Amino acid sequence: MFHWLEKRPFFFAVGVFLVIAFAGLIEIIPDFAQASRPVVGTKPYTVLQLAGRHVYIKDSCNACHSQLIRPFKSETDRYGPYSLSGEYAYDRPFLWGSKRTGPDLMRVGEYRTTDWHENHMWEPSSVVPGSIMPAYKHMFTQNADIETAYAEALTVKKVFNVPYDKPGMPKLGEWEEAKKQAMEEARKIASEMKNQDVKDAVANGEIPEIVALIAYLNSLR
Amino acid sequence: MNWLSDNINLLALIAAVVIVVLTVLVAGKYIKQMKTDRSTGELAKENWDGIGEYKNELPSGWAYTFLGAMIWGLWYFAIGYPVNGYSQIGEYNEEVAVHTKMFESKWANADRQTLQEMGEGIYLVQCAPCHGIAGDGMDAKAADLTVWGSAAGVLDTIKNGSKGLGYPMGEMPAGLLDGDSAKRVASYVANGMKGEKPAEFAACAGCHGVDGKGMGGMAPDLTKYGTPSFVADVLNRGKKGYIGTMVSFKGRLTPIQEKAVGTYILSLSRGE
Amino acid sequence: MVNAAMEYDYTVSKWFAYLSIIFGIIGMVVGVLIAFQMAYPELNNLFGQYGTFSRLRPIHTNVVAFGFTLSGIWAAFYYISQRVLKVSIRENSVVHGIAKLHFFLYVILAAGLVVSLLLGITTSKEYAEMEWPLDILTVVVWILFGLALFGLIGMRREKTLYISMWYFIAFFLGVAMLYLFNNMEVPTYFVTGMGKWYHSVSMYAGTNDALVQWWYGHNAVAFVFTVPIVAMIYYFLPKESGQPVYSYKLSLLSFWGLMFVYLWAGGHHLIYSTVPDWMQTMGSIFSVILILPSWGSAINMLLTMKGEWNQLKESPLIKFMVLASTFYMLSTLEGPIQAIKSVNALAHFTDWIIGHVHDGTLGWVAFMIIAATLHMAPRYYKREIYSKKLMEMQFWLQTTGIVLYFSSMWIAGITQGMMWRAVDQYGNLAYSFIDTVTVLHPYYTIRAIGGLLFVIGLFMWAYNYVKTMQSGKILEKEPAFASPMGA
Ligand code: HEC
Ligand code: HEC
Ligand code: HEC
Ligand code: HEM
Ligand code: HEM
Ligand SMILES: [Ca+2]
Ligand SMILES: [Ca+2]
Ligand SMILES: [Cu+2]
Repeated sequence: MFHWLEKRPFFFAVGVFLVIAFAGLIEIIPDFAQASRPVVGTKPYTVLQLAGRHVYIKDSCNACHSQLIRPFKSETDRYGPYSLSGEYAYDRPFLWGSKRTGPDLMRVGEYRTTDWHENHMWEPSSVVPGSIMPAYKHMFTQNADIETAYAEALTVKKVFNVPYDKPGMPKLGEWEEAKKQAMEEARKIASEMKNQDVKDAVANGEIPEIVALIAYLNSLR
Repeated sequence: MNWLSDNINLLALIAAVVIVVLTVLVAGKYIKQMKTDRSTGELAKENWDGIGEYKNELPSGWAYTFLGAMIWGLWYFAIGYPVNGYSQIGEYNEEVAVHTKMFESKWANADRQTLQEMGEGIYLVQCAPCHGIAGDGMDAKAADLTVWGSAAGVLDTIKNGSKGLGYPMGEMPAGLLDGDSAKRVASYVANGMKGEKPAEFAACAGCHGVDGKGMGGMAPDLTKYGTPSFVADVLNRGKKGYIGTMVSFKGRLTPIQEKAVGTYILSLSRGE
Repeated sequence: MVNAAMEYDYTVSKWFAYLSIIFGIIGMVVGVLIAFQMAYPELNNLFGQYGTFSRLRPIHTNVVAFGFTLSGIWAAFYYISQRVLKVSIRENSVVHGIAKLHFFLYVILAAGLVVSLLLGITTSKEYAEMEWPLDILTVVVWILFGLALFGLIGMRREKTLYISMWYFIAFFLGVAMLYLFNNMEVPTYFVTGMGKWYHSVSMYAGTNDALVQWWYGHNAVAFVFTVPIVAMIYYFLPKESGQPVYSYKLSLLSFWGLMFVYLWAGGHHLIYSTVPDWMQTMGSIFSVILILPSWGSAINMLLTMKGEWNQLKESPLIKFMVLASTFYMLSTLEGPIQAIKSVNALAHFTDWIIGHVHDGTLGWVAFMIIAATLHMAPRYYKREIYSKKLMEMQFWLQTTGIVLYFSSMWIAGITQGMMWRAVDQYGNLAYSFIDTVTVLHPYYTIRAIGGLLFVIGLFMWAYNYVKTMQSGKILEKEPAFASPMGA
């Protein structure tokens, strides 16, 4: 019968490869040029925000939180306008998530604030009784890695032409400048916080993870 | 609930039933064959580690369904889908437009009771994460709405001052009045500035104007204090105050919803 | 020739079997822990930052998928391939050496993965969390597996490849292609000389990244949780039951159908997202078509058992495998239905998807791996399986666990999806988010209990296995078909 291929493993493998590679090409390539164009107003993350994004990834917040508002009235009422492709143009990696154990965070910067996050990340059930979100107290003492965030920003600027340092876009500059600027943003956030350890740390020139994370959450709009 | 009037809910429930029923029926059919049937067929000549292989034909139900599915897929992608010209954003816009129109006309003249009930729902979804389910501000994490908007609220403001609504006049200093004079002013303001004006109101007039109307937007209009329309101002401005920051709800709620939630929270402090 | 059977060399196969048992237990104990955390959030505080749900969840998914499942697959591969190709791996010391190296490097990789996830070193892409140094090790491990696979095929005495080998070849190629594409990332240290040396940034941004990720993620499911498991059932069920495979044609069409259709279906993870409509639609259409090639294999297996009711009644091993094909049918019908746009509108992001995941992984993947190891054990050690009764108990306990798991997650998911959409009589949202969380408490508890039952079953499995090694009754000669079992 039709055992021809099954007696010739090489051609069999080639056949399998062709059949599976075909779909990938057709599905993925056409969208590439189009989807990466940013929407007006979308900006790359500042170094502090990026460091916060790393904290978000490190602690896998995306295990429970999506960042994708689907075009349903029930979602736009709850979370704000539906997501547009171009809004993600600087998201590497994307953080849409696939499970909403907690609410969507795509635009959480629009309706939650620094002091709210401070309370919530310290002990979620203190502001939302019945919350099943874990407390993240370690973020109040561990420092964020600003240097790696800077390295990433510089990498995407160099390799993918992300428009840092362009008019109207966040400034990156040299490492020393960038560090100073991140410190400044951090101070602003710490000034709206109440935790004394965090305030002291920032006064000493450190940036606790929570400060970077809040900078990131506030940037989600 | 009117859950089943939602197509998506309905389809999801049907889907769940179909999954179970179809699997049980089909798998059940074959498992029954294990009981009742015998295996037969012509064996192929190969034999792998003792495993033989029959040259049986395809089960026809499977084969035809597969064929049918492929034809359907081709048809759908080539004809069905393009002809429908479906767009998820288009569908969304339509849904929202229909809803908005209905909502606006249906509740334009809602009475207080209705607004208050509607407001409670909105409050629980939008505001309770900060102000608490009971509106008490959760240990001063946000404004205590069981007080705000009433005479006690004004008294707090006089005692502590106020900032963060972003009026040109800036901040209101703390401790402008105290004792009975503060109380008199507070109850006057909380009553919508009706009745006899206490002399001490002079302490306020410098900023809020003699008539309390805020001097053309320099400071809040106190005649609206304790009304839904004052709340609507707060919702649109947000507040970067002493306790913390309240976000702006500008554009997130419709005017009717703002009025409703205002009516509700004021019912907390004013007990009306 | 007939008794060359006794010459096969199972060293590497056995190692992988041990690893599969160990990873199965670790991964699913963590699964039970995170399941309890969703019901009782205080359990997040057991191990400081290393014990939160969000640190542990990726450990669960990775350890069960890439520890338990891959080890189980490779244990079966090094066993099946020798037998259906009629070669002993010992005949060629290079291939044997490669197989051993494959094992050792894989152990290092797995340990590296667990440690890095505990430390929070992750790229966040589901099922592709590893940073680039581990990616490179993965590629090396994969190449070694490929060399062993084609090495054995090159040595073969049986010219025609058995069905299982088709699927193993597809497994190798599919994962290789997908993994490479999805893990394209730029190490930031090498570009800038700053920051952490192991950090990288994805080559793709936003919607594109999502597209590549789910083209990968969907097919990771296809090529790890489906294709090699089908390879296993095509060997172990006919072998254990002694029945010829029902239909060659059905095998053939199901195989090529699956290969062709699976890759197109990835779009069903992105429905109502910002990827273009037509791609989402294509994902839906191909998902529905996918029912047929999937069911083809399952039906072929069920038909293979035609007339063998006695075996089903008597042998717990056959029970595991028949129920596995049934759960395979369930999840490959459920998946396509969840891929229909208006169903996905409700199901996406909810626990219903989690239910679907575990229908497949517990009922199909885990059951097949358990059955495979217990079928192989008597041949590995030339001993009887220690206890049939224990296996029977394990089967019923775990089946109960699965039923509790999926029924609670179906209810939870559908409830959650409906509550997110629900509006009050005024047309405003009826529930705050937290309302939709607290109602799920009972279902989360039931799921956790279901998981616990399943894990108790795993311990029975491990015990039975170890006892078989040590004190199962010694066999004179290898059983041709049904595995002998002690009481
Ligand atoms: C176990 C699941 C879980 C994990 C992990 C988790 N969350 Fe949450 N999150 C929730 C739940 C449930 C809620 C809703 C209840 C509440 O507000 O606490 C929530 C709410 C939130 C909110 C409020 C959003 C809103 O609209 O009210 C923010 C912000 C948030 N989480 C951020 C995070 C961050 C940042 C992380 C990671 C460091 C994280 N979460 C990890 C479950 C989780
Ligand atoms: C120096 C100017 C100034 C004076 C004097 C002043 N106010 Fe105000 N008042 C303001 C400003 C500015 C605001 C808005 C503050 C903000 O941004 O929250 C305000 C806000 C208020 C509010 C609204 C607070 C809230 O919770 O929203 C009340 C009530 C009020 N004033 C009452 C008084 C009364 C009663 C007096 C007299 C005892 C008084 N004010 C005197 C400037 C003043
Ligand atoms: C992110 C948290 C947050 C949310 C959400 C929120 N509030 Fe507030 N709100 C606050 C905080 C904090 C204050 C106190 C500000 C201050 O320090 O005076 C406040 C103050 C207020 C005040 C008093 C304002 C004043 O002039 O003194 C009103 C009225 C109010 N909120 C109503 C609402 C309503 C209605 C909603 C929902 C539609 C809402 N808030 C949602 C945080 C929030
Ligand atoms: C005792 C058995 C198990 C229990 C109790 C369990 C529990 C869990 C829990 C609680 C989650 C998180 C769900 C959520 O975020 O809402 C999860 C996710 C997951 N589990 Fe399991 N699990 C078990 C076995 C397995 C097995 C055997 C596999 C694979 C072979 C597996 C694969 C997965 C995958 C892939 C996910 C991620 C699903 C997604 O993101 O959609 N699990 N599991
Ligand atoms: C015909 C076959 C199948 C189809 C069409 C299918 C379809 C789907 C769909 C639509 C989703 C949900 C996407 C979302 O909305 O988030 C999903 C998720 C998933 N399925 Fe399937 N499924 C199939 C078979 C299987 C099988 C057999 C398994 C495992 C044994 C499996 C494992 C998973 C996993 C792990 C996820 C979760 C992915 C994530 O992390 O989000 N699927 N599948
Ligand atoms: Ca997922
Ligand atoms: Ca990687
Ligand atoms: Cu998929």
